[in-house]
Amino acid sequence: MTIYFLSVILSFLFLVIVFELVRLQKLKEQYSLLWILFGVILFIISLNVKFIEALASWLGVKYAPAMLFLFGLLFCFAFILHLTMVVTKLSNQVLRLTQELTIRKEKESRHGQND
Amino acid sequence: MKTLIIIPAYNEEGSIVRVIQDINEHAPEADIVVVNDGSTDRTEALALAAGAHVLTMPFNVGIGGGMQTGYMYARNNGYDVAIQMDADGQHAAEELPKLISRASEFDLVIGSRFVEETSFRSSVMRRIGIIFFSKLVTLVTRQKFTDTTSGFRAAGKKVIALYSDYYPMDYPEVESIVYLIRKGCKITEVATEMRARETGRSSITPLKSVYYMIKVTLAVLMSATRQHKPKAGEMG
Repeated sequence: MTIYFLSVILSFLFLVIVFELVRLQKLKEQYSLLWILFGVILFIISLNVKFIEALASWLGVKYAPAMLFLFGLLFCFAFILHLTMVVTKLSNQVLRLTQELTIRKEKESRHGQND
Repeated sequence: MKTLIIIPAYNEEGSIVRVIQDINEHAPEADIVVVNDGSTDRTEALALAAGAHVLTMPFNVGIGGGMQTGYMYARNNGYDVAIQMDADGQHAAEELPKLISRASEFDLVIGSRFVEETSFRSSVMRRIGIIFFSKLVTLVTRQKFTDTTSGFRAAGKKVIALYSDYYPMDYPEVESIVYLIRKGCKITEVATEMRARETGRSSITPLKSVYYMIKVTLAVLMSATRQHKPKAGEMG
């Protein structure tokens, strides 16, 4: 078994896991899209190593696997940026909920006293 | 004019009663709401006993989130003027009529301090901050400001609605001015005396003040270039 064959299996497995997580509703479709894109690219690269080598020589990169690290890292940055955007949105929504709840609670307790 | 005084409080049991009593003495017509931001002491009970309305956040959300809750409360209950005031007693209730009297002509009236507390180190750091941010805001808004970090302010109906929509989350004072200017609000400053804080300590340590400078500067610059359009379901 070569490393090429292994990476084909691993990237295929990765895609299966992502789809399975979506199917089980452990992962939202909107967040799975980036992972599916990543998995497909990984799959294509492992099917045809010539592709990454061609890209490396085109860009003047002497050590072709360095391209993998580069794109892997860029993908991670992009995904983390996306996640912090999600966190920002969530914390805004949680704050709004907290505020609405607090105001409602105060109103209720005042009405309770008046009765 | 229906007036509300918003006092955000986090563990202020030592001063909250005095502050409420002072307000009742100098501005008896105003309602008081204490935004109890997840205090672990007797702030809530003492404020209620002193006759204020109390909004108790289930956990600490920080000064911006707490203050905004007060503005939402003012909006929901149809107040004409909302005045924000610190719970530690550094804002003098004697100055309230001065703020309220100008609130009909302007959308926001800021109490600008003449008198600084005299603790040397904090005074130098603070003075630098006050001058820096006033210059920055003056530059960005083309309107002269002398005390943009002052948290002693009176807001009219327009500002109450705007702040209910959007209010900066931490260190909100400076950015919240730029936001209003971008929205076409009329803002003025009036001279108000400020006392040295009675209890508690400033929340700003040297390390935090560096973060404060950078964060607020970024927020002001961003706010100056932003069109505030709140999206549905979240703040803009």
